[in-house]
Amino acid sequence: MTSGTNEIQMNGPEIAPEPKVPSSLYGIYSVWRRHALIYKRTWLTNFIPPITEPIFYLLAFGFGLAPMVGEFSVGGQQLTYLKFIGPAMIAVGVCFQGFFEAAYGSFIRLKFQRTWHGLLTGPLGFREIFFGDFAWATTRGMIAGVITGIVVLLLGQITFTGLLFTIPFILLGSMVFAGIGILVAGLVKTIDQINVPVFLFLIPMFTFSGTFFPRENLPRAMSVLASFLPLAELVDLIRLPIIYDPTWPLDLMGLLAWTIITTALAYRVIFRQVFR
Amino acid sequence: MLTARDLWKNYNNTDVVRGVSLRVDGSEILGILGPNGAGKTTTVGMLYGGVIPSRGEIHFGSLAIPAQARQARGAIGIVTQDDNLDPDFSTFDNLATFAHHFGMNTRESRQRAEELIEQVGLENHRKHRPDELSGGLKRRLVLARALINRPRLVFLDEPTTGLDPDSRQAFWKLVMDLKASGCGVILTTHYMDEAQRLSDRLLLMQQGEIVDEGTPAELIVRTVGDEVVECAGVPEGLLQELAARTGAWLRPFGGNWLMSLVPVHREEMVATLRSAAPSMLTIRSANLEDVFLRLTGDKLE
Repeated sequence: MTSGTNEIQMNGPEIAPEPKVPSSLYGIYSVWRRHALIYKRTWLTNFIPPITEPIFYLLAFGFGLAPMVGEFSVGGQQLTYLKFIGPAMIAVGVCFQGFFEAAYGSFIRLKFQRTWHGLLTGPLGFREIFFGDFAWATTRGMIAGVITGIVVLLLGQITFTGLLFTIPFILLGSMVFAGIGILVAGLVKTIDQINVPVFLFLIPMFTFSGTFFPRENLPRAMSVLASFLPLAELVDLIRLPIIYDPTWPLDLMGLLAWTIITTALAYRVIFRQVFR
Repeated sequence: MLTARDLWKNYNNTDVVRGVSLRVDGSEILGILGPNGAGKTTTVGMLYGGVIPSRGEIHFGSLAIPAQARQARGAIGIVTQDDNLDPDFSTFDNLATFAHHFGMNTRESRQRAEELIEQVGLENHRKHRPDELSGGLKRRLVLARALINRPRLVFLDEPTTGLDPDSRQAFWKLVMDLKASGCGVILTTHYMDEAQRLSDRLLLMQQGEIVDEGTPAELIVRTVGDEVVECAGVPEGLLQELAARTGAWLRPFGGNWLMSLVPVHREEMVATLRSAAPSMLTIRSANLEDVFLRLTGDKLE
């Protein structure tokens, strides 16, 4: 660079320095932190009741049905009923908490409280807000999954290493249901419409996914269909320490596909709503 | 500091903003005045990257918007029309949490929140949640949130809509303080008193287009003149004849008539109108409402 060029720059109009804003990753964290702070403030109503749901199922069916069912054989394993549903209830906790936080939480922040629009007035872009919400719903799924897992551990139905082994699956499952939930938040026009996927997708999935009985008991067509449900894939993966299934890489790929497809769709749908 | 060139926005095959160009420099208040639905909010939305233009260019310094809007917002403050405060947080926490988005640590965030609470006069409401604040106080909190990053440019989108007169005055004072501190302001409003009082320069907007621009005084004198007369109960023929003869501007207005007073014919015009035994006759200084009526045939509200 010649000295002449330097001179021109120095004598030119004063240019204000470009503003510095934190990185995109920090932005996502900061949005996530906002949601976490609100959760901390309302934890008594937001934390305790939902977390108890899978635990009640576990206790009610585990103890209530077990004497009628006795030990049974599945996948070449002799199992008690409690041991069979333990991992499934971890998956159910992940599914319900991840989905509900994303569907209802994101919908409220998007359409009622207009939190997204408020955040957009700060040094945050759509990407940071979207993935902040996604990360938060994932966190909620993780919390539910891990706590239910601890209860299963305390009941002696899974080993500590078994539980540690399931944590990556709990994380992936939380991302799947966060993605599905945010997509629902983006697709519905009113909060009541969230009932549609809840009753037509979530509840049937909750019962048909090999949660309370092996899917092999179902008629062949139903069983095959059910095996594509994300909860079925997640239940199979979390159950791996108890029932080994050599087709687990398919479940893993299925969950990855569900996550990527629903999240990418949600991103597009909500982007169009926010920026029109 | 901020320039926009030929902005267009199309919603459902309707152009709601049509070819808007503007420029705002530091420490001036640029007012955008227009009736509801003129495209003011959409225009402002495009300027800070909240709405993606169908066409046109926006630059904030060397940053292109919307591509680099996130970075630009590091030095921009935005008061949106709706209150999108966090209902679960107190005044203090609303500010401190938002400060964190700018990369301030907990201690810096708390300190900045405290400074802003003092600056906008919310000292007695630190612990109140937004739903416990009056409309005026809520607007002040939104303003405080917009000032966290010590912005060089602030957008105020209809900031005093729905506020009582006292709250509006208090808010205006804060806006004047901002300008005095060297901050540029873009203000949209459909209140002519607000526009006239605050703006250094005004853009008049109607149906997505800028119809005129200038200082408030310039616009009034250029478009309408110094004085106007409002009257009722005068035969239309007489008014038309008088306007044609003196070169005055005449327009029906509510159930009345509004006519500009041409200085050289002033005495004659007033005398003629008085002799027609009007049921109402008011002579007053022209204002921006008259400018708007003249230019667009529309009222502001």
